[in-house]
Amino acid sequence: MLKIDHLTKHYKDTVAVNDLEVEVMPGVVTGFLGPNGSGKSTTMRIILGLDHPTKGRVTIDGKDYEDLRAPLHEVGALLDAKAVHPGRTARNHLRALAVSNRIKKSRVDEVLEFVGISSVADKKVGGFSLGMSQRLGIAAALLGDPPVLLFDEPVNGLDPEGIRWIREFFRSLAKEGRTVFVSSHLMSEMALTADQIIVIGRGALITQGSVDDLTATAQGTVLVRASDLAGLTRALEAQQARVQSSGDKSLTVSGLTSDQVGEAAFKAGITLFELTPQRASLEEVFMDLTAESVEYGTTMPGAMPRE
Amino acid sequence: MSNQQTLVDVVKSEWIKFRTVRSSVMGVIVFIVLTIGLSGLIAWAIRSHWSQSSVADKLTFDPVSTSLAGILFAQFAVGVIGVLFITSEYSSGSIRTTLTAVSNRVRLITAKTIVLAASLIAVSEIVCFVTFELGQSIFKGVVPTASLGTADVLRSVLLAGLYLTLLAIACFALGLIVRHSAACISIFVSVLLIVPIIFAFLPQSWQDSYEKYLPSELGRSMMSPFPAAHHLGAWNACILLLVYVAVIYGVGATMMVRRDA
Repeated sequence: MLKIDHLTKHYKDTVAVNDLEVEVMPGVVTGFLGPNGSGKSTTMRIILGLDHPTKGRVTIDGKDYEDLRAPLHEVGALLDAKAVHPGRTARNHLRALAVSNRIKKSRVDEVLEFVGISSVADKKVGGFSLGMSQRLGIAAALLGDPPVLLFDEPVNGLDPEGIRWIREFFRSLAKEGRTVFVSSHLMSEMALTADQIIVIGRGALITQGSVDDLTATAQGTVLVRASDLAGLTRALEAQQARVQSSGDKSLTVSGLTSDQVGEAAFKAGITLFELTPQRASLEEVFMDLTAESVEYGTTMPGAMPRE
Repeated sequence: MSNQQTLVDVVKSEWIKFRTVRSSVMGVIVFIVLTIGLSGLIAWAIRSHWSQSSVADKLTFDPVSTSLAGILFAQFAVGVIGVLFITSEYSSGSIRTTLTAVSNRVRLITAKTIVLAASLIAVSEIVCFVTFELGQSIFKGVVPTASLGTADVLRSVLLAGLYLTLLAIACFALGLIVRHSAACISIFVSVLLIVPIIFAFLPQSWQDSYEKYLPSELGRSMMSPFPAAHHLGAWNACILLLVYVAVIYGVGATMMVRRDA
């Protein structure tokens, strides 16, 4: 089990991680979500002992990373796929890692085969595409057959077939009882891959829970079509609802349930043609949750400044 | 499970890493070719112009350090090997992969130092002895020669190899501090090449009092059978160089352990 305990990290005057407290459990895929710059990678680096925390600590089965007897047997990690010496071959890269942790030579061939890059094992890594580098990084993470696996933005650079493969792969790792901790800034990706979600923004925990819980608690919207849209808008806004016109004679209402929208229409004497509650997608939940903590916000598309 | 990582495991791993990149292999080849080639050329030039040399030159001629003169150029290749052994990990980002596999940083730099020192002492000593013998065989018959049977001569050739190894370790430690290949190479080239040139413009009394403490002059003292004027004796020079290396290594190791990777 991976335990992040009141973790805080300052870089000069920026706060990258702010009192983060999370437990990542074995047997499930845990998604680690947040906008760019929210502190995901910093947290990953601290877990691996690469960066030192300002306050708090991270433990793997109760131990600091630095105190692991043979780290690759306990934690496998893919941080930055390109963090490999470009002049070394894939096989030599893995052999050097394997030897340092007393891993058999035959295991190198096994993992190369498993991730599907045996045919380029003796080519220099500098010539690899991002997708091939990701596969090499996954091979390195698997070398020691570790019970805890960390992946930082693993789907970057993978083709659709690779993305499907990696989803299946994460699930199978979790099914074997391993702890699988995957960061991403793409909610839609995590919705398909993860069982548990941890959302952070500006280095602090925003929410955590199962994918189902998160979408259930999120506020849905109601799609409504009616005879008198202007009248209905007035009636709904009188009840503090947010109303948006959504195209052809329909409105999207948030802040009210479908029952409340129906009642309001009835009282105003407006005929409804359609009244449909809409469940929020995980993507919308995420946008909602992190809206205030987006580090590098953009204006709406179409609002690009012109000369 | 007896998979507790030991220093030996990490040394094996670093040895694979050292010999599987072109920069270190090329560095060693350049070092060998430069040392033997340039020393041979210089020896041949001296032999062919010996009859025109002044009496004073003939009297102060040192067949040992002259036969090893190529080292003054080849030492830059050795410095580059030491620097790149660590800075290439930072420039490629592979230091992060390395540290996830070897989380004990003291163990990591100890292993790297062992691999670097062992490879370089082996190569340097062989190269120095070959270069010395080559020089003497070129001098033979025309120019005075030296023999390894003389204790001071043997000591000069042995310490020449040690000088190069210590230089590589100092450059490795510099890499731990500065982390950028180009910056490190600029710094050590400045210390070995540019600082002595600056000294040449200083008043003679300053040169006489302080020049002997420069790393490059310590190297010269170490590889001469008798100390030049205003220079330290070979063993004192060797000890002072060890102190320099220990200080820079201590700073480098401390920073490596304390800083974020």
